[in-house]
Amino acid sequence: MTKHRLRGPTAGLVTALTAVAVALAVALAGCGSDASGSSAAGSGSGTIQIWEGWTGAEAKTFAHMVSQYEASHPGQKVESLYVNNDNTLQKVLTAVRGGSTPDIAYLYGSWAPNVAEIPQVVNLTQVVKKPGVNWSDFWTGERAVATVNGKVIGIPALVDNLAVVYNKTLFAKAHLPVPGPNWTWAQFVADAKKLTVASTKQFGTAYVTPGSEDTVWHWEALLWEAGGSLLTADNKKAAFDSAAGLASLETLRTMAVTDKSMYLDPADSAYANLFNSGKIGMLVTGPWDLSAFPNVKYGVQVMPSYAGTSGGHQTISGPDNWVIFNNGATQVTNAEQFLLWLTAPAQVKYFSLQTGDLPTRASVADQASVASRMNTALPGVGTFVSNLAEVKQARPQITQYPKISQILGTMIVSVLLGQSQPQAALASAAQQVNAALAG
Amino acid sequence: MAVSVARAHQRGRPGALRRAVGSEHFSGWAFVTPGVVIILLFGAVPIIWSAVMSFQKNNLLSPSTPFVGTANYRQMLHDPIVVQAIKHTLIYTALFVPGTMIVGLFLAVAMNRKIRFISFYRTAAYATMAISTISEAIVFIWLFDPSYGVVNYFFSLIGLPQQQFLNSPSEALYVIVAMTIWGWTGFSVVIYLAALQGIPQTLLEAASIDGAGPWRTFRRITLPLLSPASLFLAVWLTINALQLFDEVYLSTQGGPLNATTVLVYYLYNQAFQQFNFGYASAIAYFLFLVIIVVTVIQFRVGKRLTYYRS
Repeated sequence: MTKHRLRGPTAGLVTALTAVAVALAVALAGCGSDASGSSAAGSGSGTIQIWEGWTGAEAKTFAHMVSQYEASHPGQKVESLYVNNDNTLQKVLTAVRGGSTPDIAYLYGSWAPNVAEIPQVVNLTQVVKKPGVNWSDFWTGERAVATVNGKVIGIPALVDNLAVVYNKTLFAKAHLPVPGPNWTWAQFVADAKKLTVASTKQFGTAYVTPGSEDTVWHWEALLWEAGGSLLTADNKKAAFDSAAGLASLETLRTMAVTDKSMYLDPADSAYANLFNSGKIGMLVTGPWDLSAFPNVKYGVQVMPSYAGTSGGHQTISGPDNWVIFNNGATQVTNAEQFLLWLTAPAQVKYFSLQTGDLPTRASVADQASVASRMNTALPGVGTFVSNLAEVKQARPQITQYPKISQILGTMIVSVLLGQSQPQAALASAAQQVNAALAG
Repeated sequence: MAVSVARAHQRGRPGALRRAVGSEHFSGWAFVTPGVVIILLFGAVPIIWSAVMSFQKNNLLSPSTPFVGTANYRQMLHDPIVVQAIKHTLIYTALFVPGTMIVGLFLAVAMNRKIRFISFYRTAAYATMAISTISEAIVFIWLFDPSYGVVNYFFSLIGLPQQQFLNSPSEALYVIVAMTIWGWTGFSVVIYLAALQGIPQTLLEAASIDGAGPWRTFRRITLPLLSPASLFLAVWLTINALQLFDEVYLSTQGGPLNATTVLVYYLYNQAFQQFNFGYASAIAYFLFLVIIVVTVIQFRVGKRLTYYRS
């Protein structure tokens, strides 16, 4: 309901125009196929179009890199169009229908299984095997998200991961030692309780509870740390209704319901401000939030582990992809050439140093100078860089994932709000997930 | 147009073409054609296309769009979230429409007089319409924050228990109602103010000479004369209420636990998060039908209750 888009009753109009519209629709269908035909023919002009959603320093750096590319590759032009990342898939869908897809688009990794269904998406499986690409130099989590059913559909564009950002001042005030690299969830829970001060409305930690994927992936990290997995290896059945699943939900429940040490953020919008105001002791979050904390002295530590499990301190990553669309052989070749250049180690290093985004390649992250220079520019980023090695698995790459995510979101929120017990919530969610996978 | 011209030729009536081109009809159509084409392109074509999609299994991604008959519509009957979404939409509409009208009427009556700074008050009342929905949502999220919000602070001052608001499945929808009533009040204030200024002073004077007090004048003279404005507001606000989306998207994303999932939010979720465009189109068509039925009823009932001065 937008106030700026007042619309009156359209019922009468529709009836009146239906007949004419049918005729017009037929005519338009003709136009549509014409357009796609001409664009598929490809012009070979050496101009490729790329849709990206960079802003601020990222946008400046990207524009600079594009001009560098054009200078070093005579005859090649890269036209970049800013599209808000949240809307790119919507826009691509329209473009696919209209036969005017860009040559390259930046698409969220979580869309990959669905993106793979678009016939115009170029299969890059052979491309990434070319000499010099060094595919295994990209992080495991990235490669997993760029691959759908064994087919590579994208090249990693951005990577992040979750770690714990904590307020050093609040730890000192509570006379607590700051978290160490070997810490456990039991310690996290105990610290959160001690960092909670009801009188000043200070919370030990926070959790986002809109029930969206943001709610879900935070929990998935806990599940993996507890040694569990989301689905069976063949992605056919739910596997999270397990001891590990129970342990992970119990951890959240203890903080949210029993200790009340967890601030629940229903709109996914308040936690960063609260942390920056010194109202929250610890946050499980990613590198993108660090620049929002100029007012507090913070430290970053890897995710806690569960004592006695094999999960270790692993974390979760949400990588995004560059995807190529087929607009004719010449365009595809030019697009591949540009992407391989853009994601080569030298460019990855330059982009990370300029923007503070984590390096998408292990060889870049391993250069001590890169991590330390990034950490100087934005304290704490260094831990996120080394934490990339703790990304051991990816979310299931299946088209049903959005549905599963929704079921899990409801499960987690119902436990956090004290509406259901972990065991019952797990069982009910597992049943729904199995139904979604079967359907 | 072209068809009728061709037919005229077949029947062998010379001069028909010239007559047609020279007629007022032709120039009339020539003027409106650009507008009509645009409306067809961006209005009617999507409406028809989504009707077709509602009978398909369509994710807009893959080229295969099998025809599934009424399966999408039948799925709605068995989808518990659709039932919840309908319930939430109706509760929301039932509170939002009268709420906005009553608050708007109250403010309009209060501001329909010559006092100092009246332009300022009127501008302030309308400002809520000019403020973007996103800023409105952010302000309300903070006002109603369970721990740091001003509303809970006032509750504690007057000894009321602290509420969870957007974190509570039983309260979140009412916060959205409050948020949108605030946002839309300016609209109903403007409509009512305009209507109030159209009420002839002579009628009000006559009533007071006849000995009617202010309340009676309001009940017997002002309210009936405002009825066309009320009908307009009721229809307009209802259509918008049934299409509630922005505030939900920006504040709760349908949560907690689907407590604020209304029909349009759910169809957005099905279309753009789950890629079930066929199913989403079916929901859209169901909503379209509901809106038509409700609007027709409102006009029927409204006609009887509305007083139009001739």
